[in-house]
Amino acid sequence: MTLTAKALDERVGCLPPSAVPNEPPRRAGGGTNRRRWWLLACVAAVVASALPVVLDDHPVIRVDGLRQLVEFFAAAVAPRVDGGFLALVGASAMTTLAYAVLGTAVSLVIGVVGGVLTSQVWWRADAPARRTRDVVGWSLARVALVVPRGIHEVIWGLGLLIVLGRSPVVAVLAIGIPFGAVTAKVFSELLDEADRAPHDALLAAGARRSSAVLYGLVPSALGDLLSYAFYRLECAIRSATILGLVGTGGLGTELLDSFRALVYHEMWTLLYALILLSALADGWSSLVRTRLSGSRSRRRGSVDGRDPVVAGSVLLAAALVVASVWWVRLDPSVLWSDRSARQASMLAGQVWPLVMVDGGLAELLRLAGVTLAMSVLAMAIAFAVAAVLAVPAAALPQLDRVTASRARRLPVLLAARLTMIVLRAVPPPVWALLALFAFYPGILPGAVALGIYTAGVLGRLMTEVVDNLEGRPLRALSALGASRRQLVWYGVLPAAAPRFAAYSLYRWEVTVRETVVVGVVGAGGLGVLLHHQLNSFHFAQAATIVLTIVLLTLGVDFVSAAVRRSIR
Amino acid sequence: MAGDRVFELRRASVRLGGVDVLSDIDLEIEAGERVALIGPSGAGKTSLIRLLNGTVAATGGRVRALGCDYRVASTRKIRAARRRIGTVHQHFDLVAQLRAVHNVNAGRLGAWPFWKAALSLARPFEVASAEAALRRVGIGDKLRERTGDLSGGEQQRVAIARVLVQEPRVILADEPIASLDPARGREVVDLLFAISDETRTTLVASLHDLDIALGRFDRVVGLRSGRVVVDTSTADVRAADVAELFRTDRDGSS
Amino acid sequence: MWRVARAILLSVVLVSTAACGAGAGGEPGGLRIGAIPDQDPQQLQRMYGVVSDYLHDRLGVQVEYVPVRDYAAAVAQFERGDLDLVFFGGLTGVQARKRVPGAAPVAQRDVDAQFRSVFVANPAAGVEPFTEVGDLARLKGHSFTFGSDTSTSGRLMPQYFLDRAGVSLDDFTGEPGYSGSHDATLKLVESGAYQVGVLSASVWEKRVQEGKVDPTTVREVFRTPTYHDYHWLARPDLDQRLGQGFTDLARDALLSCDGSDDREKQVLDLFAAGGFVAAAAEDYAQIEAVAGQLGLLR
Repeated sequence: MTLTAKALDERVGCLPPSAVPNEPPRRAGGGTNRRRWWLLACVAAVVASALPVVLDDHPVIRVDGLRQLVEFFAAAVAPRVDGGFLALVGASAMTTLAYAVLGTAVSLVIGVVGGVLTSQVWWRADAPARRTRDVVGWSLARVALVVPRGIHEVIWGLGLLIVLGRSPVVAVLAIGIPFGAVTAKVFSELLDEADRAPHDALLAAGARRSSAVLYGLVPSALGDLLSYAFYRLECAIRSATILGLVGTGGLGTELLDSFRALVYHEMWTLLYALILLSALADGWSSLVRTRLSGSRSRRRGSVDGRDPVVAGSVLLAAALVVASVWWVRLDPSVLWSDRSARQASMLAGQVWPLVMVDGGLAELLRLAGVTLAMSVLAMAIAFAVAAVLAVPAAALPQLDRVTASRARRLPVLLAARLTMIVLRAVPPPVWALLALFAFYPGILPGAVALGIYTAGVLGRLMTEVVDNLEGRPLRALSALGASRRQLVWYGVLPAAAPRFAAYSLYRWEVTVRETVVVGVVGAGGLGVLLHHQLNSFHFAQAATIVLTIVLLTLGVDFVSAAVRRSIR
Repeated sequence: MAGDRVFELRRASVRLGGVDVLSDIDLEIEAGERVALIGPSGAGKTSLIRLLNGTVAATGGRVRALGCDYRVASTRKIRAARRRIGTVHQHFDLVAQLRAVHNVNAGRLGAWPFWKAALSLARPFEVASAEAALRRVGIGDKLRERTGDLSGGEQQRVAIARVLVQEPRVILADEPIASLDPARGREVVDLLFAISDETRTTLVASLHDLDIALGRFDRVVGLRSGRVVVDTSTADVRAADVAELFRTDRDGSS
Repeated sequence: MWRVARAILLSVVLVSTAACGAGAGGEPGGLRIGAIPDQDPQQLQRMYGVVSDYLHDRLGVQVEYVPVRDYAAAVAQFERGDLDLVFFGGLTGVQARKRVPGAAPVAQRDVDAQFRSVFVANPAAGVEPFTEVGDLARLKGHSFTFGSDTSTSGRLMPQYFLDRAGVSLDDFTGEPGYSGSHDATLKLVESGAYQVGVLSASVWEKRVQEGKVDPTTVREVFRTPTYHDYHWLARPDLDQRLGQGFTDLARDALLSCDGSDDREKQVLDLFAAGGFVAAAAEDYAQIEAVAGQLGLLR
């Protein structure tokens, strides 16, 4: 027995499955009360974060900056389209795609191996006697994956760039390592949730635990993993772009160049390329995932390798991996070169022992506070924007054709979906610059930039939530003659709200990490200081900041998990 | 001689989540015996089977299987013992996503190193003997079928083929026919007995079907509330014992 | 499913074997030159393409221009040994020398001894032009942005002069920005996002010349005294790798580029210089001191 369709759809977010309650079980009295308290706490957090912005002595929005915004958006109708530049954009797009594909491939390898090694079933298996040792081993393996997960791809990129020099391996690993750690978490949970009987049967027949996991569990978790991998491909394209901003090549790097010189019409060509690439990846992954979940529900939890779309996509992905290796001339020998070893030991020597930042613990805590406030504001913005976009973007397949009036609503649906793609295809630093035109420097432009970018990501997940809502109550409402708007207010939103909140809370952790990429906006916080320390080669202090961000992420994860549990 | 004793349980108990699942079980099973485990639902039949193949640990007492004491033996020793114990499950416990040949080969995992197991998924090893095993259970043509696509009866035959290639000294069968219709069930029982005859393996099966238990097996062990209350040769079983075994305390409870 | 998995496994193995084979080619024997990304990369590509050709002819070795997208990355790659000869900015050059002991400045442009930064302000900020360093104190209470945080003209020397005028970063409204580039600084001040900013005088002049500056939205308020900036820096193992005396040959090649033929003219034109002159570590003592003070040297 495998996952329900609903659980699967939650799993395919960039989220570990535990992030989201499968089925909100109704709890009596106490739950509602607790829920109310958490809601109050969330509002309080947002207000506290917004307070410094509101209390500042100037207005929030700068009217005279709107001219620059207009200038930027006006360039959208006249992107640079001469042949030479288009060739460059095409080549860069392929590089970005290649990094994304290879990064995802590496993350899958790390994810499968790491997933097995961090699963409970792996550690508890075998002789029923040894318990403490297994629990300790399992906990250590889990902890070992927390650090790579807590460090943003850009930080990985900067570190690897120092050790490995200018090599495509940097971009591939900068995506592959943190994505691999997340995939490992997801895969370990898939393994732990998979039907354990075949695995136990093999153990009972004397199989070693590696073989038992391989034969008994991996095949049944593989379909979900595949589905997840295709989802991550689209995330990887965005990461490859943001990584380009530290100079690894591809669309991000070209965007950075045009961005530094503020050549708007070039930026737009690049942004169109990015949007197109994201849309294609999005479409492909949705297609594969729909097929996978379709075949799963048809065939009792099995993955049908003979589905032509799925099989073709897997083959195409494999071909893409091969083509990508060729395209970026991936040369892994840099990993074991003397020069890299020397750099690695240099870096290690300068990272340890950690050094407290100038200004001491108080300053570190203040900056952490700023980062936290920015992330809270960003999530509030993201939640609102995403919720507003998700409802019109949903196709509501639960309803019959007439009630849903699909054909008539198609333009609205497409517009909402396209908006979300644009929001998440444009890298946060670009949003940050635009936000700077419209708002005064401080945490607000940073929060707005991260907020609308995150809204693009969240909106997509929320759309899936709406499309996977239980159909019966909605059909009942529409049978009563409810209009679509009534349907939304009385049927969709009440049912979807807890999971909208759960997704947003989960994404909060990611946003905390992402504050490091919007340092441009003078918003301060840990990200800006981190960039300063890296630029002045003060690795010991930089490592302190990275560690602080990891701890902050863990703290946020802990709080958000607590809230998520209580809002079920 | 110890070598002829397949299982030896001394005051073995299993406590799970504060509930006594099995209490003070004393049981010896000699090589070549055919033992039926009977009793009402929840009596502990499945737990006893799992205690015998070592997938459930005794929380008290001692369990020796093929001369190996599960509680103190090394992991290697336990694996070596388990390799000689084949288990057939009520729900087959096959991997639906794999082709039949891999599910049959899974019976060899105890003898194969990991690399061989992994490579075999790409290109199956020892196909001939896997096919022979499937032919022996009557579905030689299903070798390359996806296991999840097979019918229930066919899946149970794949599970038996898996046990066949394992070449066990004892076959444990946990409700092997409870998920099958009566005709299919009888065929599976015939098959198990035929295999037991041919390879002289010990057979321990838990069963709901009293006719089969009393009609085909040599010995009956009756469980009630986690205790052995009947242990006798099928010839000596008294109707009163059986009735006592299945007596309900109150209507509607079990 | 497993058939597909097998195909993937096989192709990945094949490709990685092929990639390893391709990677066994070893280290290139030529000279790798680089530059900090202080301007449009296409412009850099043009400049260093010409310089590469020039150096190739003069030195008789393969010369490869390796583009870098980040100031700190240029230093890191020089340190790692991926770049042999780099045209660094003042600060990055000092950083690189600190991290690669024995690295020597070989040459600078004639204009590099005369570098300046320009403070620009949005007219709405009401800052009148001034000429004394001490008057930078007038910028207190305004919002302010630097350029890239390791730019000599966009960050380091401006902060030095601010410091001399008794202005600390806390005296500005809000935290100072780091726009990332000279052009971004200009745009942000024009838009009013920051009231005051600072950028390289040469970039400012170029933008004014090109007519890209609208005097109603941004104007120059102060020009700093001169300081040394860019210079060519060579790795200490250059002689060892490319032959005894190679560093000297490279220096001579640069110094003798005096515009005596078309290509030399082109080089100097692209570098906006009249010629290259010898550079010594002492020229950058001031930058080194300031950088040390600001904690930018490790």
